[in-house]
Parts: sequence; C-alpha cells; structure tokens
Amino acid sequence: MIWFYHIPGIRKSALKATAFLFAVFVLSFLAAENVQAQKKFSKTYPAGKNIRLQLTNRTGTITVRGWDRKSVQISAVLEKPIANITPKNLSGTILIDVVRDNKGRNDVGEVNFTVYVPYESAVDIETRIGNLIVASIQGGLVRAHISSEGDITLTNIGAASVSAKNVIGDIFYDGVFQPNGIYRFYSMQGNVNLRIPLRSSFRLVATAPSTRSISLGSFSNASMRFVGKGRRVVGKVGAGSASVTVTNQQGSISLLRR
Amino acid sequence: MNCQNCQNLISEYVDGELSDSESRSFRIHLSICSECAKLAGDFAEIVGFCEENFAEDSTPPNSQALWCRINNIIEAEIEESEVVDEVPVEKAGRSFFGGPLSLSVGQVLASVVLIAVVSSLLTIVGFKNFSAPDDGLAGFEAEPSVFEKVLAKLGVGETPADRAERRLKERKSAIEYWSQRVAKRRVEWDTGTRVTFDRNMDVIDRAVKQYTILLQENPQDEISTEMLDSALNEKMELLREFSEL
Repeated sequence: MIWFYHIPGIRKSALKATAFLFAVFVLSFLAAENVQAQKKFSKTYPAGKNIRLQLTNRTGTITVRGWDRKSVQISAVLEKPIANITPKNLSGTILIDVVRDNKGRNDVGEVNFTVYVPYESAVDIETRIGNLIVASIQGGLVRAHISSEGDITLTNIGAASVSAKNVIGDIFYDGVFQPNGIYRFYSMQGNVNLRIPLRSSFRLVATAPSTRSISLGSFSNASMRFVGKGRRVVGKVGAGSASVTVTNQQGSISLLRR
Repeated sequence: MNCQNCQNLISEYVDGELSDSESRSFRIHLSICSECAKLAGDFAEIVGFCEENFAEDSTPPNSQALWCRINNIIEAEIEESEVVDEVPVEKAGRSFFGGPLSLSVGQVLASVVLIAVVSSLLTIVGFKNFSAPDDGLAGFEAEPSVFEKVLAKLGVGETPADRAERRLKERKSAIEYWSQRVAKRRVEWDTGTRVTFDRNMDVIDRAVKQYTILLQENPQDEISTEMLDSALNEKMELLREFSEL
C-alpha cells in the first residue's frame, strides 16, 4: 500500500478510509459465511403439567431447563451438514429423534439444543456424543444417557427417578433424593460428584473398583461399610428410603453436602 | 412401567411390535431395572441366535402335511387314553394307601426322604438369611449358598460361577454380532465419530482386560465379575448405538 502514497493527487486520509471500508467489507463477508454454515430451529408447544420430553441426539449439546410457563420451547442451532429435525407432539410427549430422522445419512452436523419445559416435566434425553445439561426439573423422571463421551450436569433436580450414564466424562448431580426414589449414576471414566442435602435419606451402593476413591464426606456414618478391599461402599444414611447406586469403573465418586 | 408389565412386553419389543411410546417406556424401565434389562438382553440374544442359526430349518418342506400328521398322532393318543381311563380302578395296581394312587412303597419312602432333605436345606438357608444383617445390602461378596451348591451338584440349578460364565458367553456372542454391524457402518462415519468411537471402545476394552485378569487370579471375586459384566454390557450398548449411525 505504501506505493499508493506516492501517487500524485491521492491524499493519505482518502486511502486510509478506503482501506478501512475494504476491511469492514471482508469481515462482514466472512461473518455472513459463518452464519450460513449454521441454521436455527425454533418451535413452541403448549404444555400441561405432566409433559414429557424425549430427545435423542446424534452429536451436540442438549440443555434442558425448567421454567414457570405452560409451554415447551425448543431451540436448536444446526451445524452443516444440516440435520433433519421433525419434532412430534404425541398426547403430552414431545418427541425429537435426530438419529431416526437422519437414518441412512452419513453426513449430519452437530445439533445443539436448548429446551425449556415446565418444572414438573419428565425429561428423557440422550446423545451419541456430546454434553447433557438438565436444570430445575421436579418431575417424575430425569434420564440423561450419553452413548460415548460427554459430561452430564444435573442441577436443582427433584425427580423421583434419575438415571445418568456415560462412558468418558464427568457426572455432576445437584439435587435431592426423594423418598423411595431410584437414583443410578454410571460412568466408565470420569468423576462422579453428587451434591445433596445433609438430611437426605438413602441406601447407597457406590463402586469405584480401579481408583477405590469413594469420598462420603459428611455422609460417612457407622452403617457405611467398605467391602471388596475398599472397592465398594454399602450402607444407609437416615432411614434409607431412596436407593442410590453409583458405579465409576475408572474414576472417583464423591458425596458433597449441599 | 413396572417389572411385570415390562416382562410381558419383552417379546413384542424384541420383535419390534411395540409402538414408539411403549418402546420408549420399555427402554426407560430397562435403564433403571437391571433385572429386566438382563432378562430382555437374554431374550434378544436367544431370538437373535435362533434367527441366525435356525432360520433355514424353521420351515419344513410341506408344513401342511406335517401338521396333519401331528394332529392325527394327538387324536390317536387322546383316543388311547380314553380307553385306558375306562379300566376299573381295582385293576389299576396295588397302592400303598389302598386308594387309587399308584405309588409303590419304595417311591413313597424316597419321596419322604427327598421332602425331608429339601425342608432341611430350606431351613438352613432361611436361618442363614434371618441371621444376616437386616440392611438389605448384605451378600455382595457372598459365596454360593448351600442350597445353590446342592442344586448345582444335582444338576438342577447353576452356581453363580456357572451363571457368570453363561452370561459372559452370551455377551461375547452379542458383541461379535454388533461388531460386525459396526465394521460395515464405520467406513461411512466422519473422522470425528470414528476417533470418538475408538477412544471410548479403548476405555471399555481396557476395563474388560483388567477384570478378566483379576478374575483369572480370583474367580470368586464378585465385584470383578459384576464389573466385567457391566463393562461388556457397555461395550454391547456402544456398538449397538453406533451401528445405527
């Protein structure tokens, strides 16, 4: 550009302005390209209290949050190659199955979902690869399964039945154990952390065979027994009404006071 | 869905006859009930094995004629039994009680001894369970019970070791089947999917190897048996779910 300055009749300020405009043009072009590589999807369904969300994804993050509205709002950002999504509302069940909707396709891009559901909803989500996040759900069920790797984060959960499973990745549960509830947490490799109120009542079977790292924290009591040379802990906290099974094949297990 | 409903629907599920919602409820129940999950897994493996191995033999060359022959045989047997029923009771042989029962003295004595032995064993098992800690968590590392051992020696039941071995074989055959499916599909996957799959499979394989070695050193180790079973189950699930991609 320096040689431009030496052309007679062209002022330096004009050259600077032209260069600036050119840069703005290039940047906006690149941004537009980036936006075109994505597609956004959004749909809202009216919902009663006992709605059920069943979402199966191939690759990507699923975030589900409870809210104080009688509707289900589904938003998704689809990366190229754009996946097909055909949600269905079957008498109280919102069904989205990205695996089934794209069967036979070899090129399907990542889909990142954000779904808002009423607090009392049942949530059943799974993905082949990616993270799962569920927050503020007080319904009957929370099921979050990852076929391979990804983190599972469940916060402010009050469901009576919870199942979280992955192969590689951390599992974090922050919620309560309902009386007679069933809670299952399973990972092959990662850390499993359960943050629960001190006055919880549950029967525990926690197994960490490789690391033998099972930390009971404030929940340690006389009924807790280490068996199998420290690979498993069994015992009760309180009356022991809920059933909690935690297995981490090659990682640690920690119980934290909420 | 409870266990009874789930077990009633296993056959329909394996045959793919359930609706989407029923199928989903069924799978949810399986994810939280290991007993039903094992039952469903066993059933699916049996059906899969039969489909693979007996598909060609299942249809006889002339099925209508075969059914006619079977009907004739059944009818002939029914007619014979009706004739036998008409024989007077007095001619049916001498019974121990003098009534219509046709048991010999030896049979009655053998029955009494058998009942006594079974009752004793049940009492021992009951006493053992009664004296165990009442926390519902005992028995994770328990040896096979006396009753189970006796049944196994009689060839009636199977010991936990036999059961574990049988399950191991079933899992391995299922894994072989899904591995073949994945091998066909993986050429179509993108690099990211392939790398992720291999990394996860590697973690599972390492766990399988670790527990296999531990079980060779101590075959009675129940935690290792359980973990191996669970790791193989994970492997099967990973293969099955990625075979759909």
